[in-house]
Amino acid sequence: MIQNKENALVRWILHTYVKALVKLRFHELVFDPVDIDPNKPILLIANHFSYWDSLILFVVNQRLFKRKFHVMAKEDTEAPLWFVKYGGVFTVKRGSRDMLKSLDYAAGLLNDPQNMVLLFPQGKLHANFVERVNFEKGVMRVVDAAGDKCQIIFAATFVQYLQHKRPTATIYLQTVPSGPLTFEQLEISYQKFFDDSKAKQTEIVL
Amino acid sequence: MIPARRVPWMSNVFAKYMRYRMRKAFNRIEVMPFEAKPGHSILLLCNHFSWWDGFFGNYLAYWHLHRNLYIMMQHDHLEKRWLFNYFGGFSIEKGTREMVQSLQYAAGLLNDPQNLVVVFPQGELISNHATEVGIERGIDRLIKNIKGPCQIVYSCVLIDYFESLKPSAYIHLFDCGVAGEVPFDDLVKNINTFHKKALEDQIKVEH
Repeated sequence: MIQNKENALVRWILHTYVKALVKLRFHELVFDPVDIDPNKPILLIANHFSYWDSLILFVVNQRLFKRKFHVMAKEDTEAPLWFVKYGGVFTVKRGSRDMLKSLDYAAGLLNDPQNMVLLFPQGKLHANFVERVNFEKGVMRVVDAAGDKCQIIFAATFVQYLQHKRPTATIYLQTVPSGPLTFEQLEISYQKFFDDSKAKQTEIVL
Repeated sequence: MIPARRVPWMSNVFAKYMRYRMRKAFNRIEVMPFEAKPGHSILLLCNHFSWWDGFFGNYLAYWHLHRNLYIMMQHDHLEKRWLFNYFGGFSIEKGTREMVQSLQYAAGLLNDPQNLVVVFPQGELISNHATEVGIERGIDRLIKNIKGPCQIVYSCVLIDYFESLKPSAYIHLFDCGVAGEVPFDDLVKNINTFHKKALEDQIKVEH
């Protein structure tokens, strides 16, 4: 497992680069504010359709949550880990014993109310057009360990061009009510949230 | 109505330039396997979800279906982008008497098997995630006026990113039959079935 590292200068360079890149490649990012508890860390659970997901949600965090960004990425990712680990990236190796270490590390990060951890429980990239969102079971290790001391927020991102040359990314967000959750409940609630978000996205006509 | 003033050499240069632009903007432009009927003109019905759609039509016409492109554009859009008139753009103004003239003009173009006419049958920009495709009644009128052999093709373009920071366009093409042989209601039903199939295929697409 590769852990995220701290270096204020490299972190600043990365943050500035990501913000500029998103601004350059997207017409706009659209999202509605959600109610968040300022005293609790955030576990952000999102759909995974591209390498942009983390970058887009990084910008959302900067504008809305204003927490210290962390994201779990696959160890075989094409992103230069030696560099992006300074931006809050830590890795997971699926199907290994090391995986549990990564999940516990994610749960550990959620002890600090200043932190935000982004997880993609789908485990791999899927088309932006999927109907069903299936989670890997590992997400529950983080949810259970973090318990009530963190707030879970669902995110669903969709990309559309419409009348602009550059695409617009719409990010739907929803706070999950606190209380114990089973894996099935988590998957069903995310699916419902995803279906509602997709329905809103589908209604767009200009 | 503004008729097309297509200049072949200008259209060819434009097609090549646009391929360059699109290759820069997109990671992959993948056209799913499709065989056009020889000796038939093509009425290309496309989903309309973005600024790029007309260029996708141009790309298909020039590089894959090997026909002369003509494209139906909103009157005010063509007035603003008058250069497209030389690449095959002709206008239509919805809700006016001239609309019938535009539809007849499009049908006339399709009498020549060398031609391809791009039409956005939804008549407005809709989400790329939409599961239903509404087809305007005018399409029925257009098809009824075609005299020569003409194949109707539905093109569904879907955008996905996967492992790249640049988007990829996946173009799903479906044969909707020959003009005059498919009743309008069946055509609408078939296009909706094809659209749903494209969405299903997209989920399974290799990346």
